[in-house]
Amino acid sequence: MTSPGDAAPVKPPPSFSPGVARVASTSPSRYPGEHETTQSLDAELAESQTVSSPTPLSATVAELPIRSGSSHSRSGRSSTPQLARSSIGSPFDGRSDGSEDIRSSIIRSFSPTIAVHASEDTDDLVRSKGFKGGFWELIRPFGETVSGKVVIRDSIGSSRAWEDYGVRFADFKGIGRTPLNRDSGPLAQMEEVLTKQLDSSGGMLGASVRTKDVLGLPATTPLCKSFLQQLLCSAPTAPHETFGHPVANVIAISSRNAAPLETLRQLYADGTTGNKQLPDWVNQEYLRYYVLVHDEERDNITESIKLYDQMKRHFGLHCHLLRLRSSQCVVTDDDSMQVPQCEWLSPSEHLSGAEALVDLGTDGTPYLFGSDATAIRAFIRELVVQSVIPFMENKVAVWNDQVASRRRGISGRFMSMSRRWAGFGSSSRSSIGGSSGGISGNYDPTQHSYSPDSPEAILRKMADFAFMLRDWKLAASTYEMIRSDYGNDKAWKYHAGAHEMCAVSMLLNPLATSAKIKLESVDQMFETACYSYLTRCSDAPHALRCLSLAVELLKSRGGSATESAAKWAMRVMDFGLVGSVGQILYTERVAACYASKTPVGAAKWGGRRRKAGMWRILAADQWLKAGQPTLASACLEEAERLYADVLQADGVFPMPEMQSFVDNLRHAVKVEYLGARGFDTRDAPASEDPLATEETSEKLDMRHHRRSLVGPPMQLDAGALNATQGPLDPQSPPNDDFERA
Amino acid sequence: MAAASKAAISSSAVLGSISTLNNPSLLKMSYYFTILSPTDTPLFNIAFGTSKGGGDGIARFRFPETAQYMNQFIIHSSLDILEEAQWTNGGMYLKHIDTYPPAAAYISAFLTPSGARFLLLHQPPNLPSSTSSSSGLGSSSLLGTAGSTTRASSSSIAANPTSPQTEEAVRQFMNEVYENYVKTAMSPFYKQGMEIKSPVFRTRVTAAGKKWL
Repeated sequence: MTSPGDAAPVKPPPSFSPGVARVASTSPSRYPGEHETTQSLDAELAESQTVSSPTPLSATVAELPIRSGSSHSRSGRSSTPQLARSSIGSPFDGRSDGSEDIRSSIIRSFSPTIAVHASEDTDDLVRSKGFKGGFWELIRPFGETVSGKVVIRDSIGSSRAWEDYGVRFADFKGIGRTPLNRDSGPLAQMEEVLTKQLDSSGGMLGASVRTKDVLGLPATTPLCKSFLQQLLCSAPTAPHETFGHPVANVIAISSRNAAPLETLRQLYADGTTGNKQLPDWVNQEYLRYYVLVHDEERDNITESIKLYDQMKRHFGLHCHLLRLRSSQCVVTDDDSMQVPQCEWLSPSEHLSGAEALVDLGTDGTPYLFGSDATAIRAFIRELVVQSVIPFMENKVAVWNDQVASRRRGISGRFMSMSRRWAGFGSSSRSSIGGSSGGISGNYDPTQHSYSPDSPEAILRKMADFAFMLRDWKLAASTYEMIRSDYGNDKAWKYHAGAHEMCAVSMLLNPLATSAKIKLESVDQMFETACYSYLTRCSDAPHALRCLSLAVELLKSRGGSATESAAKWAMRVMDFGLVGSVGQILYTERVAACYASKTPVGAAKWGGRRRKAGMWRILAADQWLKAGQPTLASACLEEAERLYADVLQADGVFPMPEMQSFVDNLRHAVKVEYLGARGFDTRDAPASEDPLATEETSEKLDMRHHRRSLVGPPMQLDAGALNATQGPLDPQSPPNDDFERA
Repeated sequence: MAAASKAAISSSAVLGSISTLNNPSLLKMSYYFTILSPTDTPLFNIAFGTSKGGGDGIARFRFPETAQYMNQFIIHSSLDILEEAQWTNGGMYLKHIDTYPPAAAYISAFLTPSGARFLLLHQPPNLPSSTSSSSGLGSSSLLGTAGSTTRASSSSIAANPTSPQTEEAVRQFMNEVYENYVKTAMSPFYKQGMEIKSPVFRTRVTAAGKKWL
């Protein structure tokens, strides 16, 4: 076990630490230049409109908000484990940044939950700093990234350092309670959030900011990523999976408290008795961590240290003294810093957050003293590295030893086999109970849950712990072991969850190469999970989460797995799990899945460019119908690039009906886009003379493809081209030569 | 002959009992057939519906009238799969190569030695709810198959676009069209890569469609 003493991470050799530079590049504003880009586009547009009133279509289309080359930002964090001992390269080294980013998101979404239970005086202290939600709200954003590397030891004893480890703080009172419902499920809320985001950003959110992978294909749009993040954290705490159950409980008091030890005792007792108690399907064996918040401005530090020493004597190592200033910080103070944004906000929080922002005006996010932020970061690091992780490692080891190995052994197999047959035959069930726990008696069909100390629940918890510790191999084998038991007990949600997580952990395991795991079995597991969620439990949010995980993880596998990723994305649309905006997003995902299947060999076969192009065009059509011409034009642009390789040199579709459809679409997008930007579209000659339009648009294609063959168009380059193209006749040969050079 | 027809009847009765779709009045498959030159230019297009089981031979695709370009998009996108399949399959007839799940469209392909590709998109009609189709299931399927052996096979085509019977029927269709295509291509007035405008060819393809699909 990692003891607090050896917390210093086992450093990889300098030649094998690619993640360090990436962390340095993480800045709060990840996409600088986003707004400049749009504005300059508009400016250019206005300019060209005034310089040459009969704007050639080529120029205008080129000025449509195309993916800007400058937004080539690397993903902030890497989820690639840095192996401490062996230097096995990650199989994803050559993969795109974007999918790596998504993988990291998925991994981080399954992070341990830590409940926060603060006394009234602590919450008062923090409220005076401007955080209405109290202590929980103050530390929550800092928990999403634990500073520095976190070393985790897995079940076979090898350590790995993770840079992007995080924990999720949850309000103790909120766990297991159904949140205030806005009389709509999470799916409807997500759709609402999407619509709001689209409206507020004017479409720039999805279009211009993109991470690009090696081939220059956009991997994901921010809109899509935010959708996925909301989806992953929208699931309420449920009995059948323990990711939302607290791993630890932070009990906080402040130095203002008159009777500190009494309060601590009271807060502790709240966890086990009384009306604030957690639901009884939550395992009560979680870690208690005691925090004393010291008010730097009003209270005496020697007193606090004395109290802290007393706490340490009572409660042992799991204590921390957090020194904060109690006055509110404003922007103009020295040493003030903005509180980082929460990355994982559930859809309902997104909605209420948006309303709050409207109320307060622009500065909705509070500020904090830099010294406070440092203190909080240090506190969280100590909490995670010295207490939570060792606790979880310990639990996994104990359960693995006491519960799982018994099931794995020959007698355990015999038990589970006899259990299986017992159902058919006589009522000899009760006699087989014995050491491996009860038969199906552990499942309570009225509550739809197992009691937390039954072996089924403990095994599930152990697998979830292993998953959160990123030991996917152990997690996968444990899920695999228990998934059939749930089926025998007809605990369908558990059944679905175990299948889902088994497949996910198999796909996440970086050391199992694609040849090793059978994609068919993964597909089969997703199929079963999805069927159990949807048909047996009619739980659409979980089904959507399951299918989305399938899409993203299979896509990041690459190769033939992308085909089944596309299949699952189509399945999502087929089941009608998402609303109208979600449908378009998933259309884009299908396109992205096909586009990520790269051709191999000299013959260039195996690519799916035509399919990807078709789905992009369909998405463009739908965006246009949804009134988002900016996004539509981005999709169209993307489709052209995808088709560039497969169409004959001039970029004209061989089939007349396709060609006319694409031409019409292109024209409609242009008209809508200009209309939305406030330009008078009647001036544009394109709308009057369709024949001429067609000709010029073909010219544009030619030029565009040539450019895209050379390399991804640079932002500067595009700007220069536009500037020269405006006044010049687009058909003049020198212009062409200039571009070719 | 009698024995063969009996076997067909019994097999289709089994199929009918498995599939709830075996009601001829609901089984109007729609077809879209394209010949593509080696450079992906379409040489010949025809859309037709099934003539079996009381079909009127008119295509009714699932897309609205304004979205008929979708057929071409689907055919075009299946070229990705075709390019892959043609190197892994030795035969000229590549069978069913691709599907487009949102519209339940199935693509079968046939390669000619000159590099032209025959692509057939077949699409079952919108699936009716199982309750309506199960009414009078047994009797109607038996009546439909009693007429002739080809009818027996045709009703199972419609029931399942990937069944061996369908593959076989499509193969027959493709072969017949191929014969006619060779004859047309040997015409002195036809140059390689030209669109096929011959009305004789069109009627022959229609006839083949009537006969086999």
